[in-house]
Amino acid sequence: MVAPLQPVLESPREVDVEELEAELSALWRSAAEGASGQRVVTRACALTLLVSVESEDAAWEVSNLIGDVTRQNPCRAIIMASEPLARPGGINAWISAHCHLPVEGEKQVCSEQVAVVARGDSVRALPNVVLPLVIPGLPIYLWWRAPRFEPEPYYEDILRVTDRVLIDSGRFPHPALDLPRLTERAREAGIRMGFSDLNWVRMTPWRELIAQCFDPSELRPYLARVKKVTVEYEKTSPRRSAQEAQAWLLAAWLGSRMNWDPAEPATEASDASRTWIFNSTDGRVEVRLVPREFVGGGEGMCFNITLEAAGDPPARFSLKRGPEGICVTTQCAVEGREPVSRNVRLEVLEEIEVVNDELKYLGRNRVFEQTLAMLGRMAGL
Amino acid sequence: MGLGTEASSVAETALLANPLREGTRVRKTPAPCSIVIFGASGDLTERKLIPALYYLAREHLLPVSFTVTGCAKSPYTTETFREKARQAVQSHLKIPASEAPFLESFAQSLFYISDDFGDVKAYSLLDSMLDRFDRERGTGGNRLFYLATPPSFFPVIVQHLGRAGLAKTRDPEKNWTRIIIEKPFGRDHASAQELNRTVTSVFDEEQVFRIDHYLGKETVQNLLVFRFANGIYEPIWNRRYIDQVQIAVAESLGVENRGAYYEEAGLLRDMIQNHVLQLLSLVAMEPPARFAGTAVRDEKAKVLRAIRPIPPDAVNDLAVRGQYGEGFAGGKKVSAYRSEPKVSPSSVTETYAALKLFIDNWRWADVPFYLRSGKRLAKRVSEITVQFRSVPHLMFRDAIEDIIEPNVMSLRIQPNEGIAVRFGAKLPGPAMRIRPVQMEFRYGESFGAPPPTAYETLLLDCMLGDNTLFNRDDAVELAWELVMPILDRWKNDGERDLAFYEAGSWGPAEADRLLQRDGRRWQRL
Ligand SMILES: NC(=O)c1ccc[n+]([C@@H]2O[C@H](COP(=O)([O-])OP(=O)(O)OC[C@H]3O[C@@H](n4cnc5c(N)ncnc54)[C@H](OP(=O)(O)O)[C@@H]3O)[C@@H](O)[C@H]2O)c1
Repeated sequence: MVAPLQPVLESPREVDVEELEAELSALWRSAAEGASGQRVVTRACALTLLVSVESEDAAWEVSNLIGDVTRQNPCRAIIMASEPLARPGGINAWISAHCHLPVEGEKQVCSEQVAVVARGDSVRALPNVVLPLVIPGLPIYLWWRAPRFEPEPYYEDILRVTDRVLIDSGRFPHPALDLPRLTERAREAGIRMGFSDLNWVRMTPWRELIAQCFDPSELRPYLARVKKVTVEYEKTSPRRSAQEAQAWLLAAWLGSRMNWDPAEPATEASDASRTWIFNSTDGRVEVRLVPREFVGGGEGMCFNITLEAAGDPPARFSLKRGPEGICVTTQCAVEGREPVSRNVRLEVLEEIEVVNDELKYLGRNRVFEQTLAMLGRMAGL
Repeated sequence: MGLGTEASSVAETALLANPLREGTRVRKTPAPCSIVIFGASGDLTERKLIPALYYLAREHLLPVSFTVTGCAKSPYTTETFREKARQAVQSHLKIPASEAPFLESFAQSLFYISDDFGDVKAYSLLDSMLDRFDRERGTGGNRLFYLATPPSFFPVIVQHLGRAGLAKTRDPEKNWTRIIIEKPFGRDHASAQELNRTVTSVFDEEQVFRIDHYLGKETVQNLLVFRFANGIYEPIWNRRYIDQVQIAVAESLGVENRGAYYEEAGLLRDMIQNHVLQLLSLVAMEPPARFAGTAVRDEKAKVLRAIRPIPPDAVNDLAVRGQYGEGFAGGKKVSAYRSEPKVSPSSVTETYAALKLFIDNWRWADVPFYLRSGKRLAKRVSEITVQFRSVPHLMFRDAIEDIIEPNVMSLRIQPNEGIAVRFGAKLPGPAMRIRPVQMEFRYGESFGAPPPTAYETLLLDCMLGDNTLFNRDDAVELAWELVMPILDRWKNDGERDLAFYEAGSWGPAEADRLLQRDGRRWQRL
């Protein structure tokens, strides 16, 4: 095993903002010299990742995550912290490198990181500092790691060159209010760039599992005859609002894929559950999102989805994840037949895993856009 | 995963009609089906097929109701087969205890029939079991037969499947029936033709998936992407710019415990006829109109057809064979091929072969393709190197002392998959000094996630009806036809011209001479 690279590369070093580009070049020269014939450092880069955060502290927090991004998506990462209310104003910048050994005994691979903290009025200078640093010719991703996606006007120049924005509705404090608002933002932004929600990406495997239930041709007709959908999530857990947003997204996705028409505004019951009535080609569909207590729950792992469909005989499709949080049991039960069930792996994906996955896509995601449009209609927008 | 699917199969078209599958993110999963493995108690099933199927099931890449029926002679019950499968998964994938629920759920989808492949009863039992699975487990009438048996049983099983009516697709509007045939596909041109005749008398060619696990490797598929998704290479991918192409598939291992098999096969059959010629056809083929089975396979076949046949009296000018003697591997002394278990002490079986081929078409006329492969070589590496022509005129007079190396592009398949380009650069300083430098791209560095194994990719592709990465009847026969003069000549020559090389070396010196005669040399790997 090769010893870790010199710490000078690993820990951030403050540099003059005007000298950022020169300092980045120097970083690689010193890495090569540090090698002294023994170790070779490869710089790898597939994209520029801009990360927008709300404070210097948040910048250091995300800086710890970037190492895990660069392992899978070598990039130049630029963390931008804006503190418009801070005094005195000014801009500070740090550079560092994240290095990995891809295979033991192989060359060390490094990616660069720049952190820029802007305070007071200087926040408006952020684009001017950041834009010269993006790598020409490679895609630019903007990871919006603030609780809401509400970019200030000075972000315009950055958004103009961005290929894809990543937000996380799992961080929204009030999903029922914030998600519909996102619908509008996405509509504006989506014209120019790809837009994605990490929390929606976390639901991709669930959507896949639901879709698989209806792959057998003899079960497909049940899809059009779904009468009731119930999504249950944990009422008390640190992931409550993330799960609530997921339940909304799932309902909106089903509605948009199945061309259901929201018939009435949602009703909210005293247990905080929400119910929508949709019109489908086969009559009315009731969709309920239910927060509730689960035995052994508390971590926000438990999540149940049930679809009940009419027919002769009727059928019921369910997906359940328990408190252990890694295994989903799916069951397709047609009345009068032996139910078919199985266990598959579906863990709660860490934020960074989802980011890594998302950095592999570039274009617009129409299914997500249509889901957001449906979500807007469900919220009565 | 294969690069494209021809939506020819009805089952796949029906799958697309599931509105919840819209959008690229929801991965394709095959239609519900039954998989039948012939040779379920064998080595391949244990080491590759069961672990690959488990992985696909755990990652929900298989349909809800998939069912595997194992068939072999060993008198297992379904329960013993399940237990063997659990052990196989545990020992080959080293899964943690937390995966117990997945393993159990996977095991519950396995069933076993113990019988001789020659026994008619086995097939009628299989037929009724598959029917029952369709009814009770919802396998939808789709069937995939996997022949993981000694090759001598391929025709036997195929004919029995035919007679039992199992080869026919139940309802061609809705269902599919496919068969995967392991390698080796024949042991010479005549036997491959014979096997093709037998197989296609029972199955339609579209139902037949001849596996070459090499083609399931991520980088081999990447070769197609590299060549045809990047605009800058295609214009220079021809005789005007390319001086020569080399393909090396080197192994550091010896024959291990497969001496008996190897004595019958030899390197040319085991590696060149299939893997190396497949690589050659991917490097040299014309751009297919679409990334789909027929188009890609048509182009590959055209390349094989265009390779200049080797006349029997020119074999020794164009081919070299070798056999390893004693030597070192991994720092330890290792024995000669002739001293390996189950190998004749006077064996003339080749463990190394090098070939020089030409492709007679507009793109490649006069560009030599040098192929080499061997066991017990200095290291395990598979690489394709494309050497470009030297610059027509050297204008840097001061650099006359420097060796101006031609540009070389290396496509590395294993290990450390990636692409490297060598070009000349100026040494810093007032003098005009030129040195070759290397620019490298490695998959492991740019995309951290481990790629799926070849068997996972190929099993899934077959279930999805994508045959891009499988061999077609004509390609298999063409490849055999090409190597036949060499096989025949070597057989007649006995030990004459068999070159011996030290284990752990880069093969016999005769192979170096093959290139030296042309003023070239093997790329250092
Ligand atoms: N192993 C590999 O890594 C590998 C790699 C590439 C290709 N392949 C190809 O895959 C195929 C299988 O290889 P393998 O190594 O798995 O061979 P293997 O270990 O010898 O297995 C052969 C299988 O066939 C069964 N079998 C043989 N005769 C039978 C009969 N008369 N009736 C019923 N079952 C019979 C055996 O069952 P019993 O043992 O129960 O009798 C066993 O399950 C071969 O064509 C080989 O060339 C193998």
